[in-house]
Order: sequence, then C-alpha cells, then structure tokens
Amino acid sequence: MEGNILIVDDDDIVVKSCDSVLAPEGFTITGTTDSSKAIELIRDNDYDIVITDLNMPGIDGFELIRQINALKPSTGIVVITGFTSQQNIKDILQLGIIDYISKPFSPHTLLETILKATYLIKKIKALSTAEPDTEPDAKKKTEALNNIIDEYKSVPGSLLRVLESAQDLIGYLPPSVQRFIANGLRIPVSEVYSVVSFYPYFTMKARGKHHIRVCVGNACHAKKSGQILTRLKRNLNFNEDNITADGKFSFETVRCLGACGFAPIVEIDYDTHGAVDPDKTLDILKDYH
Amino acid sequence: MPAIKVRATDRSIKKLTIEDLKIIREKYKDPRTIGTKASILVCGGSACAARGSLKIQENLSGELEKKGISSSEVSVYETGCNGFCNQSPVINVYPDMTLYQAFKPEDVPAIVDEHFIKGQPADRFVYKDIKEKKSIPNRQDIPFFSLQTRRVLNKSGLIQPDDIEAYIFHNGYTGLVRAVTAMKPQEIVKEIKDSGLRGRGGGGFPTGLKWEISMNRPDHTKYVICNAGPISRSIIENDPHSIIEGMIIAGRAIGAAKGFIYVREPDNLFILRRLHTAIERARGCGFLGDNIFDSGFDFTIDVSFGAGTFICGEETALIRSMEGKRGFPTPKPPYPAQSGLWGRPTIVDNAETFANVPLIIANGQAWFRSVGTHSSPGTKIFTLGGAVNLNGLIEIPMGTTFRSIVYEIGGGLKKKSTLKAVHIGGPTGGVIPESLIDTPATYEDITAAGVIVGSGNLIIMDNNTCMVNEALGAMEFGHGESCGKCVPCRIGTKVMYDKLLDITEGRGKLEDIDMLAELAFEVKRTTLCGLGQTSPIMVLTAIKYFREEFETHIKDHWCQAGKCRTLSTFVIEPKTCTGCGSCARKCPQGAISGEKKKPHLIDQALCIQCRSCFETCPFVSIRIEPSVAEEVDSW
Repeated sequence: MEGNILIVDDDDIVVKSCDSVLAPEGFTITGTTDSSKAIELIRDNDYDIVITDLNMPGIDGFELIRQINALKPSTGIVVITGFTSQQNIKDILQLGIIDYISKPFSPHTLLETILKATYLIKKIKALSTAEPDTEPDAKKKTEALNNIIDEYKSVPGSLLRVLESAQDLIGYLPPSVQRFIANGLRIPVSEVYSVVSFYPYFTMKARGKHHIRVCVGNACHAKKSGQILTRLKRNLNFNEDNITADGKFSFETVRCLGACGFAPIVEIDYDTHGAVDPDKTLDILKDYH
Repeated sequence: MPAIKVRATDRSIKKLTIEDLKIIREKYKDPRTIGTKASILVCGGSACAARGSLKIQENLSGELEKKGISSSEVSVYETGCNGFCNQSPVINVYPDMTLYQAFKPEDVPAIVDEHFIKGQPADRFVYKDIKEKKSIPNRQDIPFFSLQTRRVLNKSGLIQPDDIEAYIFHNGYTGLVRAVTAMKPQEIVKEIKDSGLRGRGGGGFPTGLKWEISMNRPDHTKYVICNAGPISRSIIENDPHSIIEGMIIAGRAIGAAKGFIYVREPDNLFILRRLHTAIERARGCGFLGDNIFDSGFDFTIDVSFGAGTFICGEETALIRSMEGKRGFPTPKPPYPAQSGLWGRPTIVDNAETFANVPLIIANGQAWFRSVGTHSSPGTKIFTLGGAVNLNGLIEIPMGTTFRSIVYEIGGGLKKKSTLKAVHIGGPTGGVIPESLIDTPATYEDITAAGVIVGSGNLIIMDNNTCMVNEALGAMEFGHGESCGKCVPCRIGTKVMYDKLLDITEGRGKLEDIDMLAELAFEVKRTTLCGLGQTSPIMVLTAIKYFREEFETHIKDHWCQAGKCRTLSTFVIEPKTCTGCGSCARKCPQGAISGEKKKPHLIDQALCIQCRSCFETCPFVSIRIEPSVAEEVDSW
C-alpha cells in the first residue's frame, strides 16, 4: 500500500524497527527522534499517518498530537505507548487519534494497524475533497444550511424537510452534510443515515447538471422503457455512478411517475416528456446544454 | 425542490358568508360565456402540455386576431385535463363543445378558418369513430365521454382548476356549508356510512366506519391526512378544491382541526403549486382557518411531502414518514383511526375518496347510491392504458364490466392485436384473463378474481405480452420497493425474482412453477402491510390463469410473445412474405437479407431478438418459434 508515514520516537530502535517493517510494504517512511523537528517536518510535508510515542523529552506526545491537529487536521495519528492503563488509553483516544499500539508489539500488529489506519485516512481524504467545505461558496452554503436547520429545529418530524432542502442546496447528501444536520437537529447520525438511505429521492452521490429519470413502472415497462435506458446508457457513456464523464447528465430509474396513460415517461430535471422512444429521448436531450 | 411562490389571491377575495356564495353563483361570469360567439377551452393537462398546449393557446389568440375576431367575441382560456390524453392535444369550442384533437400547433389556422370563418367543424381534426370512421364533432357524443359517468371529474376539462370562483359556481363548497351549519358530526358520519363510500385507495375499507372510529375517540387532537399518491395527481391537477372541501368536512366530522395533504414526490412542482394556490385561496375565502362560517369550527391544511417511496402509500408507513422517520409500516391494530400521527387518531384517505365526500354531503347518500352496485356504490376513476385505442382517465359507475371499458370506452384494441389480459391495480396488481372480461368492476368481483382494485390503474395487455416477463417485472418492483422490514417480502420477492429470471432465460424447471405459487401465497399471507400482501398478486394470477405459458417457457424454451430473448427465434414465413423489405431496413443488426419482392430470410447468428422486424412487418408474416439453442444453460 502507498502512503507517507512519519515515525516519531525518542528511541532510535523503535524508529528503525518500524521502518524495517513498513518500508517493504511500499510505504514512504521518514523517521525522527526529535519531536520539535517532527513538528517542522509535519508543517513542510503532507503525511498520511504520523506514528508517535507519548513519553518524549521536550515536546511530549500529547502536545505533538495537539499541534498536528492544529496544523494538519486530516493527518491520521497512531500512538505507540508503554502505558496501557485504562485512564491513559481513554485520554489518548480523546485526543482524536485513529488507533494505538501498546509496547512491546509484534511486526504483525504494527503492519495491521498501519494498513487499517492508512485505508481509513485515504477514505476520509477522498470524502473530504468532495465535501462542500472545499467549494468556494462553502461558507455561504454552510450558513444557508444552518438557517434551514434553525428554521425546522423546533418542528417535530421535520427531518425529511431539512434533508430535502439540504439536497436542494448542495445537490446531494454526502456523509459530512448528514453529520452536520444530525448535530444541528440533535439527533443521532444513524437516524439521519437511516432516512437518507431509505428514500430514493435522497442521493449520497453527486448528480449531473441535468438529471434524467426513466420510469420503469408497469405501464412504461410494457411500453419498452427498458430500450430507452439501454440506448441512453450506450450513447451517453455513464460511469458506475450513473453520471457522464463531463458531469452534464446523470440518470436514475424511477418506479411509476403516475402518468401511465402517457407511457413511457422520461423526466429531465423538472420537465416530463411522455410517449417517447429511444430516438426521441436522445433528440430531447439535445435541448439540454 | 425549489421554493414555491404563490400569489395569495388573484382577485380581492374576502372571507365569504353563505350569502356571498349565493351571490357568486349568481354573478359569476362563466368564462365559457365571456366570448359572445364562442369560447375555446384549451386542455392544459400534462399530456396536452407536453404536446404544446401553450403554443396552441398563443397560436389561437394570434390567428383569431389576424382573422379580425376580437377576444370579446371568441375567448381562449386554459382548463384542467380532459382525460382524453391519447388524443392530445385537445381543445373544446363552447357552446356546442366541438372537440378538436390530435393536431399540431401549426394546424391552428386551418381550425380557426374552418370553424369560425366557414362556420363548420374542421372535419380533419375532429374525433373519428374507430370502427366506422365517422366523424363525431361534439364532445358529448364521443363514446369515450358519453359512456362515462363523471361525478368527481365532472368539472375537469371545463374549469380553470386554480379558479375558486369557478368551483363555487359549479356548486362547490355547498357540501361544506351544509356540513358545518346544518349537520352534527354524527350526522355527517352517518351520511357517509349510509352512502357506502369505500376507500378509493385500494383496500376498499368503508370510509364511514373509519371516520366513526376516529370520531368516537376522546382525544382533543386529531388529524386528517389526504394520501395524494400518483393516481391522485389527476384530481389535484383538475379539481384541487374538491379534495380540500372533502378534508374540511372530514375534519368537522371527526373533530380534527388540522389536515395534511401528503404528496409522495417532493419535486412535483406542478402539483405542489396547484395545491398551495388552492389552499391559499380557500383560506382567503374563509373556508379554512378559524371559525369557519361562524360555527366555531377551525381547520387548517398543510402540504407535507415524503421522498418518493411506494411503501409510503401504505397508511402507517405514510404516518412514519410524516414524523420524519423511515417509512416502515407498523402492525395494525392500533389502526391510524385510533392512534396515528404522533399517536393521535388520524384518518388517512386518498384524494379520490375525499373528492367524493362533498358530493355525498351536498346531494345526499341516496344520490350517491344511484349508480354503482349495492356493496360498491358510486363511481371509480381508472387510468386506462396499454393496447387499447384510447388511453386516458375515465370515471365509470362501479359494476361496469371490463368488456365495456375495453371495447366501448377504450375503443377496442389496437390494430393487429387481440386481448390477452387486463392488468388491474397498478404496480402491485395482477391480471385477469380475457375469459373473465365480463367481470364487473366492483371491489368484491375484482377481489374474487384474485386481484385488487388498488390505485385504479388498468393496463390492457394484448397477445404480444409475455406473462412470465410481466411477473418478472412485478417482482423486480416488489423487491425494489420492499421496505425490508418483513422477511417474507424482502427475501421472498427476491427469490421469486430469481426463479422467474431463470425461467425467462431458459434455466427454469417445471417444479419451479409450484414453488413460485406456494412462495407467492406465503408472502401474501405472512407480511405485515399492504405492499407485501399485494406484490405477489401478479405472480399468483399469472400462474393461475396462464400456467401453460410458464410451461412452454420451461419445457419448449419458447416465449410465444417473443419477449424473452433467449427463448425466442424470429422466423419469416415465406408464404406470406411479400418481400417489401421494411423489416430489413429496420433491423439494427443487418440480419435480414433477401431480394425485392421475394421472401426474406433472418440470419439467426446475427439476430439479437430485438423484435423490430416483428413489429414492423405489415403482413404479420414473422413468426416466433422456440429457441434454437440446444441447452441454454444446463446448470
């Protein structure tokens, strides 16, 4: 696995042994025995994972973790410690680390923990790049989302409305937005997720500029909406997230839009097109730029 | 779901008294009579809108002006849906209600010229009888309309749905006045009970009984919910005030002060705008709000929406969804009428049921019972689709036979096709075969045939329909829409789907049929809610009525309708093939070859069973034969 790792321990043997275990696995390793030098390194480089001891002369592990969280909050931290009393572990976990390894440790434990941590951090980084925080108008959207939450905070049963408004605002509901809403409404994230994953209206994936819905309800199925789908897929080259490479179109299938007398139905954005066939659908799409 | 802005009122409407209503009815200038010579009613239903009704309106006004006809002589205005969607776009010319259909916006000058200048119906664009090809210019003479009994839909296609005065003019809100000022809640419930009105949402539960349970609960807070699923769209589009009036009466009857209209799709802007406008105007007139008609009765209505799941049409799931939770159904009892939204007594009825209520209160239960059968009185709205000539929205007295619906109202089957089955009840419904076509459309008879009334969706299936394939589609739906709460529904539908897929792809075994039937029966028997209990119906009825079709699929590897690709071979009958070449031109694979005017041949190695040739051939000389593949997939 690839990954940029920094090892901080005042004992040189620990640094070297970590290096000898992790380097053959494809990780890029930097090691230091000086924690103040470590801070400089973290400032100048982008590490996926920092492995650190707690008991060090000068800046100790607790301080180092605090500094890392301030400098590069998306860095994953794994702690190596000889003090595995319960209180100690509770304290270090509260600092916001991914995992800890208790001394003495086997190469196998180290490798397992680091692989898991790298996997997690990559996932988080991938998510955070798609999160609204990185968009230029993120602040505005956060504010708007806050307003929506404030508006519905005291209305019982308003979760669906908040989610609908949020999806309208952002376009989709990534995990970060779900967490944000859960915090705002003071309900568990699991409850928000359970609702988002249940209703087909909500999407956790970004959509294209124009969203195509193809009805596959009974009447439309009987009138061969399947062929429209096949043709759309063939002509527009959707990727596995059902979105075209240029982000212009995305599609989903829906079940019964309730205009069965006019089957088959294709809905693009908010426009309903009835009695279409594959050729007609492609023609209609030409009007959407 | 963009924000919806609604103008509060278009005219300065104040809180109305009963006298005011009388005055409106006397003074209201029917838009149909604004034009001294005639008025043109342009259908604005979604089908017609898709075919350019807006452009037609423009063209009409422009053309009339060009011909020197002022708008005071001939006025043009938009109405709700006529239900004649197959022939869209549709316009009606008042006073004699000449109906023009299936034309293009460019044909407007010709119509104006013929009708208004030459003074006779433009024959090219009037409806022609399907068998005799005779022109029928007037709307009321067209069998599609004349054979219907339009009560709930009686105003659709004639009024502007947003116009509350038009609704009042057509005796709207008379029921409300009567219910609020002259009747006690018990009397309203009794009237509804005596009328025999049954829930139009599918189950057919007696509405009056439901109301009575709610009325007798001691709670102070109660709710009225209108379940506006997809089929209710037609009523909201055409006549939103009838639903609002029905809900207010229901609130009065059970003692509720709050109503919700639950729209399943939050992005259905057209419907939401129409509902908001209607509620706003009803509030402006004092039909909603505090102290309605000085009776001390308060009632308000809000629009609430789900996020697009089929299961949320089930009342308990709908209530959970309104509470902001996953739409999981809950066991009954307690019924929502006893303990529903936030644990309060709640009546959930669909839009069509509510639209019937004001008519019953205003005209009395005896009038309501004057059509329909003893146990299924009144009318029912169906959407008619599939292989019939005339698709659209129809309202018929209950007890009308399906033969009459298919052959008289629907104008019979399309060319080259014969009736195979009628699919009733929407996505979770089932089929009745051609032999049961004389079944009357009542709750009991439809249930006795093994299917459900459901949402009132009729799909007419012709001989090109493969029942195994349809059952597969139904299971795909059932499996996709199952909420996942009950194991039989969640897993049973998936197992049935897999088995059916095996059959359609040639891997089926004969014992699978019995296994499917048994499984479908068990899923129906053991699931909690209406969805799980109805989604296996298609499998059950397909096996019950079309068992031999399953057998030919399995034994002979033969899908006679040619819908299951791996089980069909398309062959050109040399005796009847004239060599016209139309199939060869359509074939996407270039698999058809042959000289002109000589019988053609399909290269089976290239054929992908797309059916294009079968559907194109004007001489019906393409046969569908069993699959030629030796063993499709032996394991």
